Amino acid sequence: MNKRVLRRGLTGFWWLTLVFLYLPLAVVVLFSFNAANSSASFAGFSLRWYQRLLGNEQILSAFANSMVLAIVSSVIALVIGCLIGYGMYRHRHRKLGWLIVLIYLPIVLPDIVFGISEMAFFVQIHEATGLLKPGLGTMIIAHVTFQIPFVALIVYSRFVGLDPTLFEAAKDLYATPFKRVLHFMLPTIKPALISAFFLSFTLSIDDFVISFFTAGPESATLPIYIWGAIKKGVSPEINAIASLMIGAVVVAAILSLFFSRRRRA
Amino acid sequence: MAEISQHAMRRRAVVGEMRHLLFSVTPGAAWIVIFLVLPSAYLMGVAFMTNGPYGLPEMPLTLDAFERLAGFGFLGWSPGNLYTLLRSLWQTLLSTTLVVLVAYPIAYYITTCRERWRPIMLLAVVVPSWTNQVIRTFGWMNLLAPGTPISELAEGLGLIAPNMGLYPSNFAVTLGLVYNFLPFMVLPLYAAFEKLDTAQVEAAQDLYASPVRAFWHAVFPQTLPGLLAGIVLVAIPAFGMYVIPELLGGGKGMMLGNLVATQFSGGSNWPLGAAGAILMLIATFIGLFAMRRIGKRLGGGEEVVI
Amino acid sequence: MKTNKTALALSLAGLALAGQVQAQENKLYLFNWTEYMDPAIIEAFEEKYDVEVVQNYFNSNPEMFAKLNAGGVSQYDIIVPSNYYIPRLIETGLVQELDKSKLDNLDNVMEQFADPSYDPGARYSAPYQWGVTGIIYNAETFPDAPKSWSLLFDPEVNAQHPFGLMGDGQVSMGGACAYLGHGYDCTSMEAWREAARLLIETKSRETFSGFTDGTPALQQLSRGVTHVGLSYNGDFLFYKEENPDAFANMEFMIPDEGAEMWVDAMMIPSEAPNPDMAYKFIDFILDAEIGAQLSNYNYYASPNEAARPYLDKVLTEPPVQPSEADMERLRFTPTLEGEQLQTFQQLWSEVKSR
Repeated sequence: MNKRVLRRGLTGFWWLTLVFLYLPLAVVVLFSFNAANSSASFAGFSLRWYQRLLGNEQILSAFANSMVLAIVSSVIALVIGCLIGYGMYRHRHRKLGWLIVLIYLPIVLPDIVFGISEMAFFVQIHEATGLLKPGLGTMIIAHVTFQIPFVALIVYSRFVGLDPTLFEAAKDLYATPFKRVLHFMLPTIKPALISAFFLSFTLSIDDFVISFFTAGPESATLPIYIWGAIKKGVSPEINAIASLMIGAVVVAAILSLFFSRRRRA
Repeated sequence: MAEISQHAMRRRAVVGEMRHLLFSVTPGAAWIVIFLVLPSAYLMGVAFMTNGPYGLPEMPLTLDAFERLAGFGFLGWSPGNLYTLLRSLWQTLLSTTLVVLVAYPIAYYITTCRERWRPIMLLAVVVPSWTNQVIRTFGWMNLLAPGTPISELAEGLGLIAPNMGLYPSNFAVTLGLVYNFLPFMVLPLYAAFEKLDTAQVEAAQDLYASPVRAFWHAVFPQTLPGLLAGIVLVAIPAFGMYVIPELLGGGKGMMLGNLVATQFSGGSNWPLGAAGAILMLIATFIGLFAMRRIGKRLGGGEEVVI
Repeated sequence: MKTNKTALALSLAGLALAGQVQAQENKLYLFNWTEYMDPAIIEAFEEKYDVEVVQNYFNSNPEMFAKLNAGGVSQYDIIVPSNYYIPRLIETGLVQELDKSKLDNLDNVMEQFADPSYDPGARYSAPYQWGVTGIIYNAETFPDAPKSWSLLFDPEVNAQHPFGLMGDGQVSMGGACAYLGHGYDCTSMEAWREAARLLIETKSRETFSGFTDGTPALQQLSRGVTHVGLSYNGDFLFYKEENPDAFANMEFMIPDEGAEMWVDAMMIPSEAPNPDMAYKFIDFILDAEIGAQLSNYNYYASPNEAARPYLDKVLTEPPVQPSEADMERLRFTPTLEGEQLQTFQQLWSEVKSR
């Protein structure tokens, strides 16, 4: 009896939490279709904000910047992080404490300290040498920096989970290290690589603070654009862009679920 | 002869190993050193410089920025920064506690559901956090503004002054923080619950009459590593939060992150901002260290993420 | 054969390089306030000089100043700061002296802007627009609002309705000073302290909604987040035109205790990537008809004498052109330097963090 009450309570709490989690997003989507410019009342269905979106070059270029930033930084982080992850595995019996500290540093550093350090540093370097001009380049550098640890840890834990004798077998099978990498290593850690890339991509899309401080005049990403739009007074177009991003995330979630199901099947 | 060649081979192997280590680890380590350790070190340096007439760091070295941070200025001591620090600590403590209170039953509930549903449920919790934090916060701005149903309700109940919305306010900041960090607590707690040793729990149920005591002695200790990991994942970013207080606090709920950021983005005082960043780092490392110690003492420490 | 190849490679590289240089030369980076430029003017300029104008926006002078310090000095060709930030831009070397021989239309500028106090001899700046920062309130909520700062600072005048103040500290402090009788352009320590104390008290009132920049404050007013706030006369008319329903009951008021009048001016950052085009742009804006088109678009008064015949009627009457009596009460925000600036900033950060 007692147990059933508890269980009912928990179920109710679960649904309440889901409402809490999705209500703000649902409101954004709902008001993106609002015919009036208001957050208090819904004045009928309209696509006008989406139409305005399509004509807004700044939003389109912000979207392009977000994509370039996420993809390029994830690819670079994947390569570098993968190497570190493998190095950590191969040499795990050595004393690599300093390396662990180094790898955790980007994770534990508060965003704001991270972003401001890089901004102040890049400005100095730029003044002294003309390199590292604030823009997409500096943003990519900053993003790779916080993505590397996650890639490294995912790849490392995949290697740890493998049977060590596999490596010996691979050594016998493939003569050159190159072939070993191509035919053995990469295929075995493929799932880790995919999830590392996916995580890096999400981290990059989710970031605002670090991008904000390292961006240049032409490299505004979608979140930076939205931030600016909120700061200058909420325009309903923001609801429309935000809805598109929410939609993309939901699609990505469903896809990832679908793929993980299929892999297990 | 044979011995020498064996020696040489071993040496070659060692050299090869080292080269391997160098090749695999160096690019990433160098990247982090050049693009994070050096910038952070530079920022630390800025904190010890003099604030120029227009907010940029200048020579000579001084401790002025720290004195200013502690509240000493031209005007004598003033408590503004202390308020900000206390507000940050309070908001962190409050929102982390609330996050734990929500996440704990949720994580448990997920483990009691059918196995095929669990990944979907976890995903449902995580998906909102994949959207950008600016968008999530914007969603709350829409919900809490004056005139919205929630604000009207709060007004009707007499919780807020008439005509005021729930945003901007400190309440909105707390809510935003809880919303933002909930998934970070659910995931590690879920992992802990999933590994729960049910035999132990059943034994405890026989041993202790009250379910509360059974929970306290059998369940809670087992979930402690997950809980500690969650607290680290929530409290550290919450303490340094910038976006949520800025958008939902309306300048009333300024936190340390905002104090630091405005020294740079409001163009007023780089050394002071850098000193604030150092304070934030110190608090972060103390938090990590304390968490590790507590974790170890309670026996679950080795599994804590950090 | 080999030389041929080398030549080919060289010319290709040269072409790529030229393309890059071309691409850079054909852009003008404009760093301006939000909603402050007629898109048609940009199009006309782009067409005339075969250049692409890239616009970036800021919401407050401090924000603009910080961006310039954070690398913007080599990334923007034109910036549009307000009068009281101009001296510090000059002193920090963030802007370059103008070569007046490149500005044929400089003669169009009204006499009172030709030798302004913030930039003697107008050596570094060319005026863009001028305007007034006033109180905007909902006349339905406050049917008999006094022409005074008390609408913001006196809890008895406004007991129940949410209100906002300006995010730029100098403007909010100036308002508090004016209310206390020290004048909008107060700079004495005692006046500031008193103003800061008033602001801290005001902040703790339940109905205080927050510090916002001028343009967003209008959005908050139109959505009912606040019922009274601080903003600029031109932006007010601009948004009223765009959304007549939401602004139907809004009024713009210049308090009798005095308020801010400002001039925004065009300047060229010291390391601007494309200064030649920047000169062409400044000259373009100073043109009589373009200057009038700009004012007709954004509802701010023009500092351009020659533009006068082309101005819409609304620009010749209040609130764009305040009445004589109001004009006498308007002041520039004081320029702060050195220790005075640091003292001010300490007071302001104290206000914000309480």
